[in-house]
Amino acid sequence: MSKDPYRAIDAWITGVIDETPAIKTFVVKPEIPLKFRTGQFIQFTLYGEGEAPFTPSSSHFEAEKFEVTIMRAGRVTEKIHKLKQGDVIGIRGPLGNGYPLEEFEGKEILILGGGVGMAPLRSLLLTLLAEKEKYKKISLLYGSKTPDDIVYKSQFDNWRKKGAEIFQSVDKCETGEWKGKIGVVTCLFEDIKPNAEKGVAIVCGPPIMMKFGTLKLLELGYSPDRIYLSMEKNMSCGIGKCGHCALGKYFVCKDGPVFKYSEIKDIEGIWD
Amino acid sequence: MKFLKKENFEAFAKKISRENDIFYPEQTNGSYRWKKNEGESFSLEGHRTVLPMKYFFFPPGENLKEKERKPAVIFGARGCDLRGLALLKKIYLEEPEDIYFRKDILIFSADCTSAHKDCFCAALGDEPWAEEGFDLNFSFARDGYIVEAGSDKGSEILKNNSGLFEDASNARKREILEVRQKTKETVLKQNGGKNIKPAVIAEKIEKNTDVLAKYAEDCVSCGACTNVCPACFCFFLSEGENNKIRYSDSCQYPGYARVAGGANPRKEMTPRFKHRFLCKFFYRPAMQEIKGCTGCGRCIDGCQGGINFMDVLADIAGAAE
Repeated sequence: MSKDPYRAIDAWITGVIDETPAIKTFVVKPEIPLKFRTGQFIQFTLYGEGEAPFTPSSSHFEAEKFEVTIMRAGRVTEKIHKLKQGDVIGIRGPLGNGYPLEEFEGKEILILGGGVGMAPLRSLLLTLLAEKEKYKKISLLYGSKTPDDIVYKSQFDNWRKKGAEIFQSVDKCETGEWKGKIGVVTCLFEDIKPNAEKGVAIVCGPPIMMKFGTLKLLELGYSPDRIYLSMEKNMSCGIGKCGHCALGKYFVCKDGPVFKYSEIKDIEGIWD
Repeated sequence: MKFLKKENFEAFAKKISRENDIFYPEQTNGSYRWKKNEGESFSLEGHRTVLPMKYFFFPPGENLKEKERKPAVIFGARGCDLRGLALLKKIYLEEPEDIYFRKDILIFSADCTSAHKDCFCAALGDEPWAEEGFDLNFSFARDGYIVEAGSDKGSEILKNNSGLFEDASNARKREILEVRQKTKETVLKQNGGKNIKPAVIAEKIEKNTDVLAKYAEDCVSCGACTNVCPACFCFFLSEGENNKIRYSDSCQYPGYARVAGGANPRKEMTPRFKHRFLCKFFYRPAMQEIKGCTGCGRCIDGCQGGINFMDVLADIAGAAE
């Protein structure tokens, strides 16, 4: 019998990192190294309980172990959050198409992220930084609801040291502890003026943030085929058969999850 | 093409049944339903079954694990079932292949000799007979069947049973056209002679959201239309005890596209209703090069809201640009 695309391979949880009250990062060691490309996703299987799709948040140059950052948002993620070091899970993947890094080479890269949408972007950032000589400039603009909601808090300085230019904002801060910019992530463009002509932009975050982030990038002069979006849809089979993640004529799992804005801009409800 | 005398059909079916499970459309109270053959005589006249043929290939709630079973032969599959199957094969067998989608089923299709009141294939430019996708096709001559092989396996079966078949004369070949034409006329007549162009539907859906919204008022999101559709393929992959389970699902259910964070691109009825038409006439032709509607009219028959989907199509096709 040929390969069963629905069968998961075993993997072990080798570490759990609390990012925020609702977000954890799991370090996963699959029985066979997961050779993914940054931006591709996996199905995270709780045997007998359910499956949910996530994009690894670690560099694609590490296949032995990878990380996946998960927000508690529903039935399956509620259970995933109870996992401890040593627990066995299943992994299906890698699935879909990742970020087309070859299209980014030699360009100024602007990464626009919001909330837990930072997960796939962290994978991208780490992958880019590992070969930073290939890219002209790497900038990250990251917005969170409050300072407590920032994921990967302790890592930003390290990324700066490795060569990324980073700007951060929070929507609000009632305690006064936040010394940086306050406002939705697009407010960061008040201070920085990216070179849209020479750049590409990659966006991931909650739907409302992706919508206004994309509109802002268009206003700044990015052409629709230079804006890359990681689309979140209800991927079930992950291989283009079950129909759940239909986005217009595309299946996000097979044709995405990374799309150029130009490919999907005319589809109704892309931000819903 | 070969000719099979009526009295030889039973012997042929018996021979096939030695190594295969046989399924055929049994007539009960004027409707046709799939039945497993237990050695009784059966015939191939009539029209499409209540449920489509697709569930032989991916039964609802199937446990996705290896199974031991006899291969099957489906007698009396209709043109609509085969047009639907062509799309299903593109979806399920494209890499990475769904290895549980059955490939050990032979199809012995048959021309329709009558029409269900909701059949509208001919109004959509399709024929009430199979043109491709079968292993053998049975057409009706006066005193038997004209049998055409559509695959290598079909040709081999004809060769292995040459004692039962004879060469088909041109006169007999002409006889099958009479039956085909008569059925086609029945379908056209019961649809008022309409000639709906699928490409026109594809172009006009977006501009006619108001037309769809009107019909969508009667939709109760029960999912019957997609469940009985021979071309609908959607499912939900769930966890079983030691394997996955493939449950039927429907894009017409409100929670179908909802994600864990709560976002749902089609939570309202009209976008869901419209999605089904876009999928069948625009998305699938664009991506799989096959339309997702076969004109079988099962969705009309099954609709709990009494929506006549052929009327929806005719209204869109006839609407202003």
